[in-house]
Amino acid sequence: MLYINNLTKVYRRGVRANDGISLAVAGGELLGLLGHNGAGKTTLLNQVVGLARPTGGTITLLGRDPVAEPAWARSVCSFQPQAHAPLTGVTVRQAIESIGRIRGGHRRAVRRRTTELLAALDIEQWADQPGERLSGGVRRLTAFCMAVVEPGRLVMLDEPTNDVDPARRRLLWAQVRELAAAGHGVVLVTHNIAEAERVIDTVVILNHGRVTATGPPAALAPDRQLRLEMSGTAAPTVPAWALRTSRAGDRLTITLAAEHAQLAVAWATSMTSRFSLNPVGLEEFYLTLTANPETNPDATLVS
Amino acid sequence: MRHWFRSYLLLLRWSAIRLRYLLSLVLVVQIFLSVGIVLGFAFLLPQIDSATARYLATGAPTLGLITIGMVMAPQLVATAKTEGTFTYNQTLPVPRTAVVVSEVTTWLVVGAPGLLLGLLVAVLRFDLTLRVSWLAVPAAVLVALAATTVGLAIAYAAAPPVTNMVTQLIVFIALMFSPINFPADRLPEWLQTVHQVLPFQHMAQVVRDSLTAGPEGVSAAPYAVLAAWCALGFAATLHIMTRRA
Repeated sequence: MLYINNLTKVYRRGVRANDGISLAVAGGELLGLLGHNGAGKTTLLNQVVGLARPTGGTITLLGRDPVAEPAWARSVCSFQPQAHAPLTGVTVRQAIESIGRIRGGHRRAVRRRTTELLAALDIEQWADQPGERLSGGVRRLTAFCMAVVEPGRLVMLDEPTNDVDPARRRLLWAQVRELAAAGHGVVLVTHNIAEAERVIDTVVILNHGRVTATGPPAALAPDRQLRLEMSGTAAPTVPAWALRTSRAGDRLTITLAAEHAQLAVAWATSMTSRFSLNPVGLEEFYLTLTANPETNPDATLVS
Repeated sequence: MRHWFRSYLLLLRWSAIRLRYLLSLVLVVQIFLSVGIVLGFAFLLPQIDSATARYLATGAPTLGLITIGMVMAPQLVATAKTEGTFTYNQTLPVPRTAVVVSEVTTWLVVGAPGLLLGLLVAVLRFDLTLRVSWLAVPAAVLVALAATTVGLAIAYAAAPPVTNMVTQLIVFIALMFSPINFPADRLPEWLQTVHQVLPFQHMAQVVRDSLTAGPEGVSAAPYAVLAAWCALGFAATLHIMTRRA
């Protein structure tokens, strides 16, 4: 459905936001776009929807060129921008229904779908509240509904779970999955890697405008590595089997190979009863790839 | 075309819902402004003859339209830009011209009540008899269009804080240094020349001529200048709206 080939975007001031990015999204596929702040994720989406013009490379959407036909691209692609949706003076329901109609939906269908979405995300109690009285999370969920009330063939969501509470984040992921199940291609930008890992089909990790890794989340997470987390201990000597160690406040995190699990448990038990040992997930992989200080500002490398 | 018209109507409805509360406030401010000019400026002048009354009575609604189009509309767009509404609207599958035209329409509607009320106050205050020509409505619409398109162009082109400063400057120039409430020949010659190009004097003239049609008839030149400003404002607005980073 969406093919991006060697896409490069250099802004007028010389910032190279996208540097030779290639990726593909099929109908029914959920692609997660991860990357540090300023990695070029939003720039990528903006080019697909015609808000920014690529410097080089090609985009093919449903066999056509969205760069040459931005108006057409906007009609087949619904987009939840990262910026807050305009909700001042409108109620949640009015906003969702208005955008549904503007996106070409029929009155009754839009009204029905709005009611369904409000129920599915459990935000019915705010349905008739004006936007300025809503919390950030409800505003974000409303913006999500505005993007998917009348979804295009391709749906692009830029950080849809920001400010949303954990319970409703789950409801939102379920809706995103349903979109994919209905055959829509979905591109999802998020920093919520641990949760996204469970819903996305393919992950693309951007680092300074380049793709540094791509594939299914399970294939990317490093094989047979474990993560030992413990808190409330003084700074211990780092054991020999530790692959990576980081400390944030009184919380110590050690990455280790799976075969050292028993050693690690024995070592941790000797110091504290408050520890956990888990398989390493996508987030760790992401962190090692991008080494992004913003994600974990307190972390200092001990070893 | 059907898609365009459908988008236009839906956008109009969308901004009407969104701006409902704000618009009533804008309306009140504008009514105060028109009435204020009619009553307040009269204090500045020891004697008001019929020519002065004619200038004040028609200048007030003109300034009302200028304030709506070149101050309030751009300031609201500046706020919308800060809030991200501007970018959001750019992602909607609607023709960009429909966005601009619906926005302009909103401001034309907002401008109308203040204009009428200002005029009514003027007529009562100065005991003035208007001779409203058939051109009154087209003239008012043209003035509002020119003011709004130029105002939106400024707001779309400039960063929000710059827009807010420029609009303050505009209202200052329009109120104090433009031949709207007084004849142009009272200004120094160089400023008269500047006002040949700027829209303010022409706005005042078309409103004045169409409401108090004199025996000398109506001159076409100011209409042409205003139409040119409209075209310029619209083209600039549209260019900025369709521009890609």
